[in-house]
Amino acid sequence: MLSAILMFSGLGAAFGLLLGYAATRFRVDSDPVVDQIDSLLPQTQCGQCGFAGCHPYAEAMANGDADINQCPPGGEATIQALADLLGRDPKPLNPEHGEEKPKLVALIDEKTCIGCTLCIQACPVDAILGAAKQMHTVIESECTGCELCIEPCPVDCIDMVEVEQSLDTWQWPYPSTGSSIVSDAA
Amino acid sequence: MDADDTIPVEVAYATPAHQLILSLVVPVGACIEDAIKQSGILQRFPEIEMDHALRVGVFGKLAKLNSPLRAGDRVEIYRPLIADPKEVRRQRAAEGKRMGKGGGKSGSQEGVSG
Repeated sequence: MLSAILMFSGLGAAFGLLLGYAATRFRVDSDPVVDQIDSLLPQTQCGQCGFAGCHPYAEAMANGDADINQCPPGGEATIQALADLLGRDPKPLNPEHGEEKPKLVALIDEKTCIGCTLCIQACPVDAILGAAKQMHTVIESECTGCELCIEPCPVDCIDMVEVEQSLDTWQWPYPSTGSSIVSDAA
Repeated sequence: MDADDTIPVEVAYATPAHQLILSLVVPVGACIEDAIKQSGILQRFPEIEMDHALRVGVFGKLAKLNSPLRAGDRVEIYRPLIADPKEVRRQRAAEGKRMGKGGGKSGSQEGVSG
């Protein structure tokens, strides 16, 4: 009986010390709020919010320099999630930054592509495979639909198309965030 | 193999219908050809022929088959162009469309068809 008490007290003390040591030794220096906000953003890196990418926008929100309704790809669901996280009131998407639309991916017209690499340089997520004077191809699974490749193309050979759903591309739908934005729907 | 002796790389090939990115680890000092052979992508896409006409590269930059790899590189296997760039430019000039960086803006207003 006594040995069991001693053994478990000893184990408890040992693990307590281990956890205490780990908490100081592996302390996270980055601001956890920024990472939490960033994880709610769609990671399209499209820049429609007015910042260079999703992480800079998350930093600006954490500092109070940006509002929560500047992300068109995320749309209503993202605004609701950000409002919940930051304890603010949800509001409709700011139309200055664009409108919410279904996810599209870029498709390159192979008969027109001249292999200029301008779209590759514009792509923030390396979703275009190609090199100078070689065929450029969009990797559908990497494309976030940010449309940044469309404007640089000198021969207008990039179109945005809907993703065809197949067994390979099917994904779990995003969880709903519960309530929707009432003022927008009215 | 020890983790210090290997580097992670990717091998990618893409057609409009199918795109494939394979992740693998190769020994330090491996070249592009080694990675392509090790990845097994040649078996998945029989149309890729490993000869001198094959153009490969890393992240949008053409490279030789015997170029050494660095950790995190994405080896890309390219396909040739279908259009002749000179011909496309000539056609667009004849249609009076602006060429060069940012040409998409004027083009989209004119309603270009692919």
